[in-house]
Amino acid sequence: MAFRDRLLSTIRAARPVLEAPGTLVVGSEVPNLLEPGFAATLVVSQDLDIGVPVDGHAALKERLPGLREFEPSADEPSVWTPRSPDLLELNFVGMDSKQDPAEAYVLEDDRLPLLVFGGLALLSPGPQIELEGGMVRLPRLAGLCLEKLVTGRTGEKGERDLLVALALLTLARPADLEELEGLYRRLKPEARHAVFAHLTILSLLGPRDGMPDPRPWRNEVGALLRRLEAQGQKP
Amino acid sequence: MTTPSLDRQVRELRSQLLVRSWEYRQRHHAHGVWFRFRRVLVDAKEAYAIPRPEAEALIANGSHAEPVGSELQPPKLIIFVPAERVRAIPTARSLEVRLSADLLQAECLALVPFEGVSR
Repeated sequence: MAFRDRLLSTIRAARPVLEAPGTLVVGSEVPNLLEPGFAATLVVSQDLDIGVPVDGHAALKERLPGLREFEPSADEPSVWTPRSPDLLELNFVGMDSKQDPAEAYVLEDDRLPLLVFGGLALLSPGPQIELEGGMVRLPRLAGLCLEKLVTGRTGEKGERDLLVALALLTLARPADLEELEGLYRRLKPEARHAVFAHLTILSLLGPRDGMPDPRPWRNEVGALLRRLEAQGQKP
Repeated sequence: MTTPSLDRQVRELRSQLLVRSWEYRQRHHAHGVWFRFRRVLVDAKEAYAIPRPEAEALIANGSHAEPVGSELQPPKLIIFVPAERVRAIPTARSLEVRLSADLLQAECLALVPFEGVSR
């Protein structure tokens, strides 16, 4: 079964929770869903990240019985594993808009504990897209892109995350870049430096299978870095 | 209920943040040279390894060496030059603009800036 079909089937099967108020599809699948026709050509991990606002956690839990095609992982209850190999794992993560992007904590719960990533505080609800009759809410592009740039990861996963940020940058309109700049200005100096450092790494990356080739986009990446510097926000 | 795996992930994230703080404090010190070196390369559309006499001639003619070159060991002469100037150097060897072994081994680097970038 093609990855795109698994992704769309997963979204359909997860609709009960995806339609909970404030819930967003986050993570690396977002650029896959933003491709024309949801083409899903990027090679990313085989899960669907579901961002749950901490103040919407209780409401989302009430919808968990609707997830008939998944079951909680015995090892990791924030992950729900599919009963069918034709579906992807669901990975629930917490979003707390009041959180410092440099922090993380566990929202403890008997049924669905969540790791609340500070970087996800940069996300806000964006467009709804219609998928096979249902609506899925994605985050705004600027916040998701900045979250990818501010979150430090190492190795192959880190580089693929930066290429996901690039995939989002290639879709960014001028208004998205202005919004990203505004969010950047609100970051603490350490986080700004992390954004700078990751942009320099992204500018020098080589191509990876199944990801956008960063080399033709080097000038755009540099232009974003220079734009952030020009705001007097150089770390 | 929490799980060991969630607690472990929080600890890993906090470790990453400690590293980030350390990198931030290092930004003007020796370890920060890699950030400063990458920052210079971001502005380069093309990179060439050139012989030292050519690099010294470019400096004698008004080009300036990027300070980060002297912060590396062994030091490098890193110079931004217009494309036409570097193409006039027959021994210039084109390099991919990335942290490859070739680029890191070059003693003298001539970098062509992207259009509109002033260095």
